[in-house]
Amino acid sequence: MSHFLDRLTFFNRVVGEFSDGHGITTNEDRRWEDGYRKRWQHDKIVRSTHGANCTGSCSWKIYVKGGIVTWETQQTDYPRTRPELPNHEPRGCARGASYSWYLYSANRVKYPLIRSRLLKLWREARTLMTPVAAWASIVENPEKRKAYTSRRGHGGFVRATWDEVNEIIAAANAYTVKTYGPDRVIGFSPIPAMSMVSYAAGARYLSLMGGVCMSFYDWYCDLPPSSPQTWGEQTDVPESADWYNAGFLILWGSNVPQTRTPDAHFYTEVRYRGAKSVVICPDYSEASKFADMWVSVKQGTDSALALAMGHVILREFHVDRQVPYFKDYVKRYTDMPMLVRLVKQDGRLVPDRFVRASDVPGQLGETNNPEWKTLAFDETTGELVAPLGSVGFRWGEKGKWNLEAKRSDGSPVDLRLSLENAADSFEEVAFPYFGNIEHDHFASSDHGSVLERRVPVRKLALNDGEALVATVYDLFLANYGIDRFGGPNVAKSYDEDVPYTPAWAEKITGVPRDQIITVAREFARNAEKTNGRSMVIIGAAMNHWYHVDMNYRGVINMLVMCGCVGQSGGGWSHYVGQEKLRPQSGWAPLAFALDWGRPPRQQNSTSFWYAHTDQWRYETLDVKEILSPTAPAGPWDGAIIDYNIRAERMGWLPSAPQLKENPLTIAKRAEAAGLEPKDYVAKALKSGELTLSCEDPDDPKNWPRNLFVWRSNLLGSSGKGHEYFLKHLLGTSHGVLGKDLGPEGKRKAKEVVWHDEAPQGKLDLLVTLDFRMSTTCVYSDIVLPTATWYEKDDLNTSDMHPFIHPLTAAVDPVWESRTDWEIYKGLAKAFSEVAPEVLGLEKDVVLTPIMHDTPAEIAQALDVKDWKKGEVEPIPGKTMPQVTVVERDYPNLYKRFTSLGPLMEKAGNGGKGMAWDTKHEVELLKALNGVVTEEGPTKGLAKIETAIDACETLLMLAPETNGEVAVKAWEALSKATGREHAHLALPKEDEKIRFRDVVSQPRKIISSPIWSGLESEKVCYNAGYTNVHELIPWRTLTGRQQLYQDHLWMRAFGEGFCVYRPPVDLKTVKPIQGKVPNGEKEVVLNFITPHQKWGIHSTYSDNLLMLTLNRGGPVVWISENDARKAGIADNDWIELYNVNGAIAARAVVSQRVKDGMCLMYHAQEKIVNTPGSEITRQRGGIHNSVTRAVLKPTHMIGGYAQQSYGFNYYGTVGCNRDEFVIVRKMTKVDWLERPFEERGRATGPALQAAE
Amino acid sequence: MKTLKALSALLTYPSEELCAAVDEIRAALDAEGVLSPAARQALEPLLQELASEDLYDLQERYVLLFDRSRSLSLHLFEHVHGESRDRGQAMVDLKSVYEAGGFAIGGSELPDYVPLFLEYCSLQPEAEARLLLSEPAHVLSALGERLRKKGSNYAAVFEALVGLAAAAPSREAFEALVEEAEVDPNDLVALDKLWEDEEVRFGPGAAIADCGVDSLAAKIRQARRPAPGLDVPAAPRPRTVFTHASRS
Repeated sequence: MSHFLDRLTFFNRVVGEFSDGHGITTNEDRRWEDGYRKRWQHDKIVRSTHGANCTGSCSWKIYVKGGIVTWETQQTDYPRTRPELPNHEPRGCARGASYSWYLYSANRVKYPLIRSRLLKLWREARTLMTPVAAWASIVENPEKRKAYTSRRGHGGFVRATWDEVNEIIAAANAYTVKTYGPDRVIGFSPIPAMSMVSYAAGARYLSLMGGVCMSFYDWYCDLPPSSPQTWGEQTDVPESADWYNAGFLILWGSNVPQTRTPDAHFYTEVRYRGAKSVVICPDYSEASKFADMWVSVKQGTDSALALAMGHVILREFHVDRQVPYFKDYVKRYTDMPMLVRLVKQDGRLVPDRFVRASDVPGQLGETNNPEWKTLAFDETTGELVAPLGSVGFRWGEKGKWNLEAKRSDGSPVDLRLSLENAADSFEEVAFPYFGNIEHDHFASSDHGSVLERRVPVRKLALNDGEALVATVYDLFLANYGIDRFGGPNVAKSYDEDVPYTPAWAEKITGVPRDQIITVAREFARNAEKTNGRSMVIIGAAMNHWYHVDMNYRGVINMLVMCGCVGQSGGGWSHYVGQEKLRPQSGWAPLAFALDWGRPPRQQNSTSFWYAHTDQWRYETLDVKEILSPTAPAGPWDGAIIDYNIRAERMGWLPSAPQLKENPLTIAKRAEAAGLEPKDYVAKALKSGELTLSCEDPDDPKNWPRNLFVWRSNLLGSSGKGHEYFLKHLLGTSHGVLGKDLGPEGKRKAKEVVWHDEAPQGKLDLLVTLDFRMSTTCVYSDIVLPTATWYEKDDLNTSDMHPFIHPLTAAVDPVWESRTDWEIYKGLAKAFSEVAPEVLGLEKDVVLTPIMHDTPAEIAQALDVKDWKKGEVEPIPGKTMPQVTVVERDYPNLYKRFTSLGPLMEKAGNGGKGMAWDTKHEVELLKALNGVVTEEGPTKGLAKIETAIDACETLLMLAPETNGEVAVKAWEALSKATGREHAHLALPKEDEKIRFRDVVSQPRKIISSPIWSGLESEKVCYNAGYTNVHELIPWRTLTGRQQLYQDHLWMRAFGEGFCVYRPPVDLKTVKPIQGKVPNGEKEVVLNFITPHQKWGIHSTYSDNLLMLTLNRGGPVVWISENDARKAGIADNDWIELYNVNGAIAARAVVSQRVKDGMCLMYHAQEKIVNTPGSEITRQRGGIHNSVTRAVLKPTHMIGGYAQQSYGFNYYGTVGCNRDEFVIVRKMTKVDWLERPFEERGRATGPALQAAE
Repeated sequence: MKTLKALSALLTYPSEELCAAVDEIRAALDAEGVLSPAARQALEPLLQELASEDLYDLQERYVLLFDRSRSLSLHLFEHVHGESRDRGQAMVDLKSVYEAGGFAIGGSELPDYVPLFLEYCSLQPEAEARLLLSEPAHVLSALGERLRKKGSNYAAVFEALVGLAAAAPSREAFEALVEEAEVDPNDLVALDKLWEDEEVRFGPGAAIADCGVDSLAAKIRQARRPAPGLDVPAAPRPRTVFTHASRS
């Protein structure tokens, strides 16, 4: 049979399976596929980014459909790099991608919220009274004030309209300005680079008012003061692409794959290219896994490790064999040839200050600033010379501030590094040693506190007689314990236990000596072969210690002795919280309203919070504990806050508030006295008629009254001493467990007024702008709903890549939210309407410190004189703060806010000591943004109405985004250096980057003298590049990379040279240990707070997608051994506490963690899954609940070249790594799920702050 | 159904206007009578609260419940999609449902805002409205349950809504929202089970087994589980509430 009719002609049978069951046939309804088809349809794609305060700065595509943001993907259109260099993309990480749903999240702040008790009081008052009077009636009545301030953090919000909250805030501001002064209105917002216009909005509002902008970089302890100390530069680093040029990479306390995710690919790629990588990290971090060698150092002892590595490098590459490249580099680019006086003190010779031209008879012919010109010997002639480039050449003369090997008359010099062959004698010179300080948790050695080492010296006839001098080079090598000339305290062999040999470091750091030797040798050998392509990527883990500078200077020394700084693929890569604001000098006028009045009020946050959250009242660190055994004679008495007060009155650090008296009243008083305001202030301060606020921070007249927080989670993430903030600044329930020093009779402060009763609740009003209900919002009086990063127009830059790119509004702000720009514009409007009730055109007397990069930075050259002690007259800008009168037009604040003021045309613009004309740019802006047509004081000025107008303004004014300005800036620098630099920008002179340009594609910035690197077709951006290759001096005293710090206070605190200093004992454990038992075993651990994997950078840790990947709430990592000791099992609820407060969290028990430390990722919010603490009975606490800020006097130095104040540039830092906590299992987990009234206050045991 | 409009109003932010309209709301509920007397009685405490209590207290309570508590969010998709990117598409779909019905969203609210959704339902024929309501019934039911546990009078509104829905929420969907979160965090065996990964198999027949509805659902469910002890509701198996505009 043929089966012809059985065969199907037109059909196949449907079979269930095919391909041996690997495939199946189904006949289900396929309409569901439409879902997928529609899934990827969209109406438009918008370019934006996540302005989280991470350095990522990644451009994203935002897809919008039907007016709703539907998804986002990474942008892949960054401008290309050069051949051989990998491209930048893809940028953007899983955390950024999970961010977008904050937009529609239930956690979003949707409406302006206000404490109902405050609103009720306001409405009652406002029915009969004008706005300012209404506000006065509330805050001047202690009961009414307390009704809402004491409820901060305990709910009670209701919605309000924008008009109403704006009026309340404006009235509060106007009242404060009138009653106490504009410097009582404070604003805190960090890291402008992530959304610079949003930052500028608030800063502009405050600055026009005379309010105070607070620093963040130093407060976050992300500022490494060693950078300004060494280079005169806040922080400048290579872009991540430059890692690819390195031959040897050390990751030191930086967790690149976790915290620099979008850049980590360069790290991977360069390893494929053959670079060797060493990771130095106490725990087995994500980065440790990438290492060719993992060095597990005892946390906090990094400087000991760096010094030992330096010891090896100096021994093998500078002494036993001198590498020509290294020798040439340190001679030309460092202070090593400079001469230091040696003085007799307690029978020993100690290094004193640098010898200056003014010390020498005839001043070497230097008539301009001779006391600021450092000296060296010329190798060829043996003459004493003042080589060009020191800070004395920077100011008051032209064309000589450069690093050419010349002196003033143009004759060449070849500086002598060592006096070895030209010594008059060899002398023992004393160096301080701190490694013998005992600490319960850190190893110490039994060497003496003063180590004398032999150094070649010369006798010099100086104006004040014969003096002994030595070069920095010889002293530097002696400090490292290198045996060159015999004598005590030096080592011939690495195995001798002498500071700072590898054998010595092995004991301190726990790192085997052979590891130290290997890393040092390979690091230097690579630098030798490649002319400096050895790099250290360095991170917060090293920077957050009290003795941060030693950690950093130890590493900087290694880099400098190997000629790595300023070379492609080499140098110091500190990527912590800085986020370079590339168009900085174009942005500053917008942000700080420099177009209307100069100078702005800017305050260093650490000192401010230390004083105003009253953490100083609990200070247990005695100055004696940190003073050097070789300290010169000086006023080394009192408590740490005293040093800050001295620094403020000498004009070193800023003050806020400034004077006890309202600054709006000073000009009138001066007039009445017939004096210029600055002369009046100087006279009145001396006579005591005026007093500085810093001397009495607890007097109600000196309280900060209004605080704005925006783009920040101050109380949830960065408030070191969190519980002190709650207690003293906010006046609400808190978890402070210790008593202050008053009842203990342990007060040591001398300069500050002590009140037995510390104030609780200094702030009248706390306003927070945020898009989510963060911990800070929860404690605020008014919460303003702000736009997310897909709802606003703004700009974003980073230190990790050279591009500028935008945030753009994919959709309008949802619900009632508004952009930061519109919010502050609205406030400005409301303020202008309310202000005339009490304010008009006013003269505001502004005190500013002696600023870095200004001619005033050379204030007190040879000594420190305090006018308060009668050692010198108070001279504004020299021995006390600068005094300036700024005119405020309060009724027209809004008009000023929305237009570009006349000072840009009249006074021009500038930055970092350079100044240039901006008339042409102002003209262009008038054409671009349009001019104000409305009658009034701003008619005819360029408009700044919208956020895009604001973007255009800063892009137009900045050299980095306007080639014409770049050329002007380089020409301005040429005047000082006498060298031609404009060629660096001339090829881009016609380039003007506009907002629409960066919307279409990220743009590479134009090279400018504001920064020390170049962005070109030949090199990646690398810090210090123009110093080395264009011979532009570093902005230091010597004009060179300064490895010896000769300021009196630096010497007093033992940090002239880099030394090992163990962590300080903050004494926060013993006073409470065993006092609050719960029956569980306890273990004392070092408290470490790195950045996390499961939050979006440092701030956003309430994202469910991320939380779900971890334990869903606060966790603390501890080692298996410590867990065993305390009877803790993984995932147990544990409590961490000390006198500062307590934290409840779950335990993660892991082999990863080093014994003796615990690790709590930064900023885990107490608003997510956090129970109450057994001890404080307050909700959980955050990582800062167990910390308290502690200041370091060396960070307060000012008026001394590189050690002069700059906003976010120099100043005290909020370190927190030296802290110890008691860890134990919790017996009862209380979620506090009941009304506030039923909870009651903790009745903690009587505890002391001090032992 | 005027009743739905009335319930929609009850779920809005307490304002003087709302408080003044309590009698009107009560009258409308009684007049229409679609709610059982018991359900209407259950709403009485809320009505009285709105009519008599201090407005600031009412507003404070509302903000705390609905603006501040993620688990009580009045946005439906918070409970269905959470922070998943599916939420955007779901909102687009829901918006197109309204548009197909001839209504564009006027204010600044999102399409899945419960009062807004209820207003739309109130404009539909009764049968259609009941059908629409049954789609998110498990969410409404869970919200009612959570509010009841907190002792809030708002619970009655959600209980009334569930009563109006054409179909009761499936036990399974409801449990996924409410009960899964309540696994005892100290029961390690149960926790292990909850967190267990699905085994991956290869070879003949694996396609059906691994891509079958149950298997996929289990995988997705597992992917959405919160950490133990985390007090957020787990989403039910992924189920877009309204996928097609054409649905009728």
